[in-house]
Amino acid sequence: MDQPIVIEAIMGSQTDPTLAERLHDISHHGVVEVLFVEPADLPRRRFHSHTDRGTACFVSLPRATQLFDGAVLHLENDRAIILRVGQQNWLRLRPSDDGAMELGYLAGNLHWKVRFEEGCLMVALDRPVEEYRARLVDLQSAGKVSVVE
Amino acid sequence: MRKIGAARIGIGGPVGSGKTALVERLIPALHKRGVDLAVITNDLVTHEDAERLRRTNLLAPERILAVEAGACPHTVIREDPTLNMEAADSLDRDFPDLDLILIESGGDNLASTFSLDLVDYWLFVIDVAGGDDIPRKRGPGVIQSDLLVINKVDLAPYVGVTLAPMIREASAARAGRPVLCTNCRANEGIDAVADALCAAVLYQAA
Ligand SMILES: Nc1nc2c(ncn2[C@@H]2O[C@H](COP(=O)(O)OP(=O)(O)OP(=O)(O)O)[C@@H](O)[C@H]2O)c(=O)[nH]1
Ligand SMILES: [Mg+2]
Repeated sequence: MDQPIVIEAIMGSQTDPTLAERLHDISHHGVVEVLFVEPADLPRRRFHSHTDRGTACFVSLPRATQLFDGAVLHLENDRAIILRVGQQNWLRLRPSDDGAMELGYLAGNLHWKVRFEEGCLMVALDRPVEEYRARLVDLQSAGKVSVVE
Repeated sequence: MRKIGAARIGIGGPVGSGKTALVERLIPALHKRGVDLAVITNDLVTHEDAERLRRTNLLAPERILAVEAGACPHTVIREDPTLNMEAADSLDRDFPDLDLILIESGGDNLASTFSLDLVDYWLFVIDVAGGDDIPRKRGPGVIQSDLLVINKVDLAPYVGVTLAPMIREASAARAGRPVLCTNCRANEGIDAVADALCAAVLYQAA
């Protein structure tokens, strides 16, 4: 049985100049592996997973540490592991003039994660889009919200 | 391996679904697996569940802390989990070798979820007597939890529930993420839950 690589600290970002240089070197004579994490799982600090090369990892970070895209998790002579966050999908909603308050209320009440962009409400999709659309049917049929995509 | 504090597991679910009963069964099951354990219970305005756990003598009393949730049990596990985080931090300080802290939420409704700031993994306990339509109602607790536990399977014949379709619907609603069945009264299905928790958050060979 393979022992998982234990990751107890983030070494830095892959864009830090010294780390970038190390990663560049390793990519020539070794391998830079990628550990993928879904956006919804990014707050996690303790979990088992596998890199794209099948290497077992046990992430066990201090509570104050926060994972981020491009975090360098592991460095050895001929192997590095970096974290990559899966793409966050958004639903872009445009409220009508009299629909904005109701849409804001709905999103807050359902604990949706949102951003505002050019008069639209952007909803982060942590679950299948149908679950979000189903909650919007009433506002849509009342003409108070349109789904821009 | 360097110690960075115990793993934290949340146990949520509706009132009376069997959260404390599951904790009572998990304690010996986890001890058998060599897990150094502590428990935090959340009640509205009492320490009822903590007192009940202490009376079982399954754990040293100082390893069982109570948090009073006030009127809103989900607030202290989601919007502002500070009280529970402080309780867990104090257990980490008092028991440096602790592997795992179980945090039982106060009984709530199907919408309660745990913040990942508080826990590393969380399970949601529903029971057969609540009705086989619960999974279809797609409450956030049922859908988003890392593990769904359907408890009181022994009661299925008495409440007109057929288990197989209920499990199927629960799995479908959760897009295939794990669902386990337990009968806490007769200590059935507990080992599978204990194994799932250990596999998720404790160091072990892959
Ligand atoms: N028949 C049967 N009864 C159970 C089972 N699990 C729990 N119970 C009973 O259900 C009742 C509620 O169980 P608890 O463990 O107190 O439930 P809880 O979810 O902790 O309740 P709150 O913390 O008040 O929300 C108790 O009377 C238990 O004895 C089970 O698997 N089968
Ligand atoms: Mg209880």
